[in-house]
Amino acid sequence: MTANPHRPRRAAARRKHHWSLHVGLLAVSFFMLVPFYWVLKTSLTGENIFVYPPKLLPNDPHPFYYVDVWYLIPFARYLANSAIVSALAITANVVFNAMAAYALTKHFRGRGLIITLLLSCMMIPFQTTIVPAYLITGKLGLLNSYLGMALPTFSTIVCIFVYKASFDAVPKSLIDAARIDGLSELQVIMKIMIPLSASAVATNVILSFIWSWNNFMWPLIIVRDPNMQTLPLGLSRFLTYHENTTGALYAFCVMVLLPGILLFLMAQREFIRGLTSGATKG
Amino acid sequence: MTTTWLSLIGHRFVLIPFCLALTAASWNGYVSLHDGGLVRGVVLGPGGAPVAGAKVSMMEKNFTTNSDRGSTRTRADGSFEFTNNRSHNILLRAAVDGVGRSEQITVRLYFRSQNVTLDAPLTIKLDAPRND
Repeated sequence: MTANPHRPRRAAARRKHHWSLHVGLLAVSFFMLVPFYWVLKTSLTGENIFVYPPKLLPNDPHPFYYVDVWYLIPFARYLANSAIVSALAITANVVFNAMAAYALTKHFRGRGLIITLLLSCMMIPFQTTIVPAYLITGKLGLLNSYLGMALPTFSTIVCIFVYKASFDAVPKSLIDAARIDGLSELQVIMKIMIPLSASAVATNVILSFIWSWNNFMWPLIIVRDPNMQTLPLGLSRFLTYHENTTGALYAFCVMVLLPGILLFLMAQREFIRGLTSGATKG
Repeated sequence: MTTTWLSLIGHRFVLIPFCLALTAASWNGYVSLHDGGLVRGVVLGPGGAPVAGAKVSMMEKNFTTNSDRGSTRTRADGSFEFTNNRSHNILLRAAVDGVGRSEQITVRLYFRSQNVTLDAPLTIKLDAPRND
């Protein structure tokens, strides 16, 4: 075995390439993170965002705008409402999407048509289905309720396909073995497919959480009781104040964003794996 | 079996919510021990001497309004105390009839009814003489 004389040069070139790549990524990250930093800084200082010249570092930061938000509006109530609705949406997404995805891994007549139908439904914006959705929710007697708020987010097509990509990777022999052991289809999903698709579950959890957490339009339409409002509705209430509430408004934004960011950071690895599984062959 | 439990407890999805819950519980414990609604301070005269009998007024500050929350008189040593503060954001001002009044100060607290002793005294400034 002889040493490759080109190897050190290639390694050096790769290192140089990596170095420039990291500089580029750092620059992109900087521009991506500046708005977040600005929101955080304003929440700690209450500085007017239109001040010129803009100050990069916070001047006399303090946490009192967060205290204002906590006490001057029913933040804990909004937080609890959002958490309940999100928990319902996450549970439903994890279970129902897994069932739908498992069905789509089977070969049956009309499977292609159903997949096409699902994919084409993704192109229909939610705003166009609001009136029928409202009427159905009203007929079910779920207006102004947690279940009613979570209902339209119970299953999302993107998440079904995330599950499907993960389920397709499970060897058929494993499912056959489970069936021979006497497991029903539901048990195959719960005991074989879901435990083997941790990344797809994490993706479902994160996406359904973020969509449900940030949902503004649907709760605005079906919620009538102020005590049932969620965080995005509470955020819009700030805009009705005529006083200067810049610091508190931004503190509220940070408090709304924080759970989503935390959840994403915790499940980041699984989330990315879940989105990319099935994207490449081999 | 023990290893499985240990790995489950050490998992970030368990550990981070547990740490957050612990922090919230500790904070609530601290709050419940320090939310007596006490506001203490001292009023000094223009010369720096404690002022007895000065009237100290407290107002509660909201986003859009300020609500009157009562007043008290200073003791012989210039100290005053409110025992009924229920807000996290209050305004204080001291006044001596016919002499002058202090600037209105904003006291911001970390939680509602937090017991607080003011770092700086309320200093009475003499009223400007009126040219009638």
